[in-house]
Amino acid sequence: MPKNKLTLKIIFFLASTDVLETFINFCFKKSALAGAGFSVNSVIGLILFIKAVALSIYLWLGFLGVILLFAVWSTILSRIDLSIAVPVASLSYILVPISSIIFLGEKVPPLRWIGILIILSGVILVSLTANKKEDIPL
Amino acid sequence: MDYPLLLIICLILLSSSCDTFSQIFLKKSVNSLDIQVNGIKKAIDFVLRLILVPGTWISFTFSTISLILWLIVLSRVELNFAFPLDSMHYIFIAFASGLFLKEKVCYKRWLGTGLIVLGITLVSLTK
Repeated sequence: MPKNKLTLKIIFFLASTDVLETFINFCFKKSALAGAGFSVNSVIGLILFIKAVALSIYLWLGFLGVILLFAVWSTILSRIDLSIAVPVASLSYILVPISSIIFLGEKVPPLRWIGILIILSGVILVSLTANKKEDIPL
Repeated sequence: MDYPLLLIICLILLSSSCDTFSQIFLKKSVNSLDIQVNGIKKAIDFVLRLILVPGTWISFTFSTISLILWLIVLSRVELNFAFPLDSMHYIFIAFASGLFLKEKVCYKRWLGTGLIVLGITLVSLTK
């Protein structure tokens, strides 16, 4: 297996890190809401808040997501350059709006479509530079 | 309690820098193991070895600092203001990858990265 080759499998993994990240943020937000009734302006308030959050199942689901994300992300990094992995992971800016159109029936304004297309062209351009030896470094 | 705008911008850039350092340290740790993961069994072995590398923990530390800074920022300003600024970390990563990891960031990769930042800014400007 040649190093630094951006295969479909790696792109799939990169997309899955975005899904995981969304899931983690959702879980942590949910667990923080479990402690929303407490005002954090004293040490006791803080302890009560942490206790309420720690009892929420979402906090632990979130942590599980973090561990999984670490495993997947470091696996990706073992195969490709960081300066490719990070830009290509921005595919989520494209996948999220497209899935909101399909599954949520949302409308996307023209300016956002332009933004999405620009991101897409950027991702394609970065992907093209994977596995090329003859590129001139800047 | 309102923070001045300049302070917020500094916090965002600091958060992005910490995130960049976190990625650099993680990639350095991964590179030091020199394993190409294919298959679940190898992946588990790889991750278990990776958490024994000190650089991985430096990466975690930077990642935590970055997250705390980001949460402070989000508690003060709207997400659609903070987001385009945070996308600057794509540029930071490209710089740092060339500088610290000796990755060859050619003009095409730079151009692509720049387009992504532009695109993210446009997307977050729409409401």
